[in-house]
Amino acid sequence: MKGFLDYVDGNSVLHRLNPMTKLIISFGLCASCFLTQNHAVVAAIALFDLCLGALAGISRRSALIFISLLKLSAALFLLQVFFVRQGNILLVLPFGLRVTDAGVSFSALFALRLAAVTMPLSLMLSITRMSDIANVLVRYLGIPYKYAFVLTTAMRFIPLFTEEMAGIMEAQTARGVRFDTGNFFRKVRLLLPLCVPLLISSVRRIEVSAISAELRGFNLRGRSSGYKRYSFGANDAAALFICVMIIVASAMI
Amino acid sequence: MLKFEDVYFAYAGGDTITGVSFEIGRGEFVALMGENGAGKSTLCRLCNGLLKPSSGRVAVCGCDTARTRTSALAKYVGFLFQNPDRQLCKNTVREEVELGLEYAVADKAERVRRRDAMLELFGLDGDREPFGLSRGERQKVALASVLAPEPDILVLDEPTTGLDYRECAAIMGVISRLNSAGTTILMVSHDMEVVSDFASRALVLNGGRLIGDGAVRETMRARRVMNEASLLPAQIPSLAMRIADLGAEYAGAFTVDEMVSAAANARGSARP
Repeated sequence: MKGFLDYVDGNSVLHRLNPMTKLIISFGLCASCFLTQNHAVVAAIALFDLCLGALAGISRRSALIFISLLKLSAALFLLQVFFVRQGNILLVLPFGLRVTDAGVSFSALFALRLAAVTMPLSLMLSITRMSDIANVLVRYLGIPYKYAFVLTTAMRFIPLFTEEMAGIMEAQTARGVRFDTGNFFRKVRLLLPLCVPLLISSVRRIEVSAISAELRGFNLRGRSSGYKRYSFGANDAAALFICVMIIVASAMI
Repeated sequence: MLKFEDVYFAYAGGDTITGVSFEIGRGEFVALMGENGAGKSTLCRLCNGLLKPSSGRVAVCGCDTARTRTSALAKYVGFLFQNPDRQLCKNTVREEVELGLEYAVADKAERVRRRDAMLELFGLDGDREPFGLSRGERQKVALASVLAPEPDILVLDEPTTGLDYRECAAIMGVISRLNSAGTTILMVSHDMEVVSDFASRALVLNGGRLIGDGAVRETMRARRVMNEASLLPAQIPSLAMRIADLGAEYAGAFTVDEMVSAAANARGSARP
């Protein structure tokens, strides 16, 4: 599987939407998760995200991302559930820890939200090119190009750094460093020294990119130099309508 | 020492290694050749268990790599990556060279002895910061840290890439001496001059299949194999074959000395 921020080429109806529409929908779905306090609604939005993934032709990828998010959500659920004191006590544990019904409800909502909020952003990045995101940020939102470029470049570097870290870990394992152990805490302890090569390679890579951009006249670029136009069609209108309906419904339920 | 038995390996995108079988004995110096994307680096990663075969078996010193951890195989297989920076993570060259030893050698005095021997062998200043060194020096540090545990097999993924002639000669000199002392070498290289100068056997990969396995001299003269793998022989054998095509007796020349000798013989026989 590609990294969860990598663009996946395609020609689905979602791929063809205006990038601005995709941005609005993704942030709209995130907002609707916070507007509701109903667990079922948040779960429904998460399922809707999966359906969008299937519609975009990346059902396997979105399912894998969703599963990864659920694992993270489960860890956060366990961290939260012991520290909410309000509500009726369901379970008393050693060391003064207790599980309450309010704690379970709050932690479950928190965990569900994490998955449901992250999915639309990940989907949007999977079906929208970084250059298109930068262009619409500049054209429609009036953000200076340099800031849009910084944002999209930072996003683009995340999978590269992930790959670099995997390569560094591979190299260290080949030297006998026991990254292939099952012990999570030992792995974390071994990871710390690897920040040095990762940081150095990252700084080098960024420096090369900056020099390369300057050599190609990056600083000469004005606001009017973007040439790409994005049409707004019936599909965009329909998608935005559905998004508004979801936001309104989640605010009311 | 190293045995591939009908090995297949596939990334998500499709087959990368397809039915590869070969065996490398102790003390051999084997070059792995092929165009970009032929599967050379993948094959190297299969050697120390960084990748596990989809089917077939890879055995290193009798250990099945599919059933042995990569970190445990490190005592048998030293692996030098193309990019030395991925291997460096300590503050000084001394610490860097000692890192691999920490996992392989329990005795502190022995670790110090091996570390100092490596620093001396490569002419490295142990107090220097690894990332402050030149590309060639960093490659030397990475190689020294790989060699310090004295592995039986050394897998080198393009060890001379990005090095100037002097650095390349220094690195290959050390590798050649190790090979003479009995270390088995499997080296990926696009540099045919390095291959012809140092390797005795060549494996040629094309599209994940092994299309050539033989002595370097014979392999470089096998035009079908070289063409299929999009490879050009080193300059001297290439020149010798071109002249041989014209009818002269140069076809056997493989080194500069052999070419000079063949030219001298041809000149002598041409005199009345």
